[in-house]
Amino acid sequence: MKNNIVILLVLGAYFLLSGVAYIVWNHLAGNEFEATGSLGLLLSAVLAAFIAFFLNMVNRSQGGILLPEDMPTADIDDADPNIGHFAPWSWWPLVLGFSVGLAFLGLAVGFWIIFLAIPFVLVAITGWTYEYYRGNFGH
Amino acid sequence: MFFAGLFAIYFTLRAAVPEMWAEDSALLNFPFSLTNTIILVSSSVTAQFGVFAAERLQSRATGWKPSQWGMVEWFFLTYVLGAIFVTGQVYEYAMLVSEGITFNGNAYGTAFYLTTGFHGLHVTGGLIAFLLVIGRAFAVKNFGHKEATSAIVVSYYWHFVDVVWIGLFLVIYVLR
Repeated sequence: MKNNIVILLVLGAYFLLSGVAYIVWNHLAGNEFEATGSLGLLLSAVLAAFIAFFLNMVNRSQGGILLPEDMPTADIDDADPNIGHFAPWSWWPLVLGFSVGLAFLGLAVGFWIIFLAIPFVLVAITGWTYEYYRGNFGH
Repeated sequence: MFFAGLFAIYFTLRAAVPEMWAEDSALLNFPFSLTNTIILVSSSVTAQFGVFAAERLQSRATGWKPSQWGMVEWFFLTYVLGAIFVTGQVYEYAMLVSEGITFNGNAYGTAFYLTTGFHGLHVTGGLIAFLLVIGRAFAVKNFGHKEATSAIVVSYYWHFVDVVWIGLFLVIYVLR
């Protein structure tokens, strides 16, 4: 993570310098202040520094452990963690899609259809959220 | 991106008819909206305390003191604060409609209800998401990393919606 922090700090410094140069150069050339480019460059500096600051905080709270990308001897496998739990297959997205589709049909055709769709949306969204919290999968 | 588009609508219309803006935005109740804003911002703080509890993998309170609260208690408090905000918005809409600012009345009304209304819908969606996360904490025997992750994700959403409101508040109620 150290390397990422350094890269982002370099980017932040670069955008800050180019922003200042842009404004000063523009002024010396006798043009009036140009808000879009000036703000864009300075805000890019702020954003890069902000992410560097955030990563630095994460790095410190993790006690400065090295990520695979910081180690010259790391393998590709090492940076391929278990990201989370994803359903191998599920009917719920289809159910939710049809229910929301029905609700949008209500917006287009007649508002009363929405009241018909609401129960379906609620069942679909709870069904999807709790798919792996019931029955066989209860934990 | 979506709210950037709504801000663009607001600013374009404001630049086109400045006198309408000056006249209609004078009807806004600034102290009321400021109170509502403070309630929403504090709900973000309580949501973050809920996240801290979730990161300790503590779903329920171990005592009555807030320092002993679990994720569920903090998120219920967040839910109440968010619900007060939405109720306040509905009350404010009712007041404004009674004073003649309506959605289909003029450009100011359209821009006002479109921006704050879509924000209100997002807050309402966040409230439902909080209920689903609280439900997950009740559904499991052991509150684990998977449940903590869903709590953290919902809190990100909530903070985002909060930040958008701060932008809307500054533009609509402070800049006018």
